[in-house]
Amino acid sequence: MKSNTRFSIEKMAALESKHPLLFGSTFQSRFRRTLVIVLMILFTLFTFVWLDFNPLRIFLGIGKFFHMLSLFFPPNHGGWFNEYLVGLGETLAMAFLGTLLGFLFALPLSFIAAKNVNKNKGSRLLMRRFFDFIRGINTLIWALMFVHVVGLGPFAGIMAIFVSDLATLGKLFSEAIENVDINQIEGTKSTGANGIQIIRFAYIPQVLPIMLSNALYFFESNVRSASILGVLGAGGIGLQLWDRIRVNNWKEVCFIIIMLLVTIAIIDVLSKKLRDMIMANQEYRP
Amino acid sequence: MIQINNISKCFGNLNAVDDVSLIIPDGQMVGIIGSSGAGKSTLLRLINRLWDPTQGQIFYKGKEITQFKGRELLRWRTKAAMIFQQFNLVKRLNVFTNVLMGRLGYHKTLPSLFMMFTKEERALAIEKLDRVEITDQALKRCDQLSGGQQQRVAIARAMMQNPEIILADEPIASLDPRSAAKVMETLRDINRKEGITVIASLHHLASARMYCERIIGMANGKIVFDGKPSELTKEEVLKIYRVEDAEEELEHDIENVEMLKHQKQGRKVAVPG
Ligand SMILES: Nc1ncnc2c1ncn2[C@@H]1O[C@H](COP(=O)(O)OP(=O)(O)OP(=O)(O)O)[C@@H](O)[C@H]1O
Ligand SMILES: [Mg+2]
Repeated sequence: MKSNTRFSIEKMAALESKHPLLFGSTFQSRFRRTLVIVLMILFTLFTFVWLDFNPLRIFLGIGKFFHMLSLFFPPNHGGWFNEYLVGLGETLAMAFLGTLLGFLFALPLSFIAAKNVNKNKGSRLLMRRFFDFIRGINTLIWALMFVHVVGLGPFAGIMAIFVSDLATLGKLFSEAIENVDINQIEGTKSTGANGIQIIRFAYIPQVLPIMLSNALYFFESNVRSASILGVLGAGGIGLQLWDRIRVNNWKEVCFIIIMLLVTIAIIDVLSKKLRDMIMANQEYRP
Repeated sequence: MIQINNISKCFGNLNAVDDVSLIIPDGQMVGIIGSSGAGKSTLLRLINRLWDPTQGQIFYKGKEITQFKGRELLRWRTKAAMIFQQFNLVKRLNVFTNVLMGRLGYHKTLPSLFMMFTKEERALAIEKLDRVEITDQALKRCDQLSGGQQQRVAIARAMMQNPEIILADEPIASLDPRSAAKVMETLRDINRKEGITVIASLHHLASARMYCERIIGMANGKIVFDGKPSELTKEEVLKIYRVEDAEEELEHDIENVEMLKHQKQGRKVAVPG
């Protein structure tokens, strides 16, 4: 074997034994890596068997699927178009109000959960556990509970979105707060500004764009959830959808789904535009 | 007069500032030099009370400022304005707002939250911006400015605090030579005209020599030199920087000072009046 290296064999061996980690993987690390991969494959296969996941069943069901699709077309509003529009408006308003409330409450509470702002460990951890607890319960479950508490209608939906967004946004916001540029905080503090002024002038300008853009993103996804919430009794377009499904009126179901898709697509585009604007340009005038 | 008595700041078992005592008369322009990690920034932060000392006291005009709490502490920070190497402006706010923020210490919380600055404060801010020649950038966001411009905004903010002391932590370390000279000249001008005490930590020996009437050398958290620039001999510099063989660099540095002196004299001759 022709040697094309500048290093003598002894020198090479010495370097290898001195820095073993810098000379590629060792037998042990290769063995460990292989073991992990094999275990992951075994686990995946196990879940397939356990849950009876069988691709064959999709093939067998494909005929039924096309049959169902034929029931969907042509879509038809059945003379209820205005009612659908009102329902859709209700759903949008529900998502909007829920997100807005969640944002407004998450904003101050997230500062309590942020390590760099709140030095009081007790209240900070309490706030975090509170966020985690709420997040542990799905929005749908919250909706069911609120339907029980405040009765059927959009109000229950608003509350469900509000509560679960409050927790998720609160957690995201507190992480954004913990990642601020410390120099800007220190500079503001050095002027003799008090705690609240520091939050207003050094934290908020740094985190507000991220917060707003997050909230918009949540609004987008809440429009989707809000239509499902309707099924649970929270009103809006979801209620109409559920009524049609129950009586197997698939052409109207299809019509409603198309309305939803178009609305969501429009909101996605608008919200993306807005979020880009927020992140790019925040001129403040005193 | 700032009187520092046996002050120490420990991080774990590291003494960043180690039993430092110091008296700085009002109106002095002081340069602090020392190698990286010597404790310069820590000392300045202790004076502004951004950080609390582990031990020792600082007195200003007979009052123990290391005892200050609450409102009094905030007042003190306003009085002892700081300037930083990284400028430490709020980047997403515009220049004018950043300068007005120098008044936060004088404000009631609620009105300031809505940016209710008075007409007089705005006029004052314009005056300070004029002084550092950056008024035309007033409505630009700070992150759109060059380093030198940002540092001048930081000086304007510090001046808005109506300070009695300016603590400048490596104000020119991130700047090109021309911007650096401008910043140092502004600081000296403020020191001479307003009689504001300026304490600046500086990496650049020549600037410390040229602009400061007194130089304090730090090493390992202790003061190892305190005297006039002329007393800062080669041996002293080697002691401060704890190096054996910096001959070449040092010669270069000394040459630099001579050159700057000549330039200044030349300019004085060239410009009549
Ligand atoms: N927040 C901190 N936590 C722990 N150690 C710190 C902290 N700040 C500074 N130190 C340590 O204290 C010592 C002095 O730091 P300081 O920043 O005061 O030095 P300096 O003279 O300003 O150095 P430089 O010229 O690099 O800015 C250093 O050893 C540094 O690592
Ligand atoms: Mg420093």
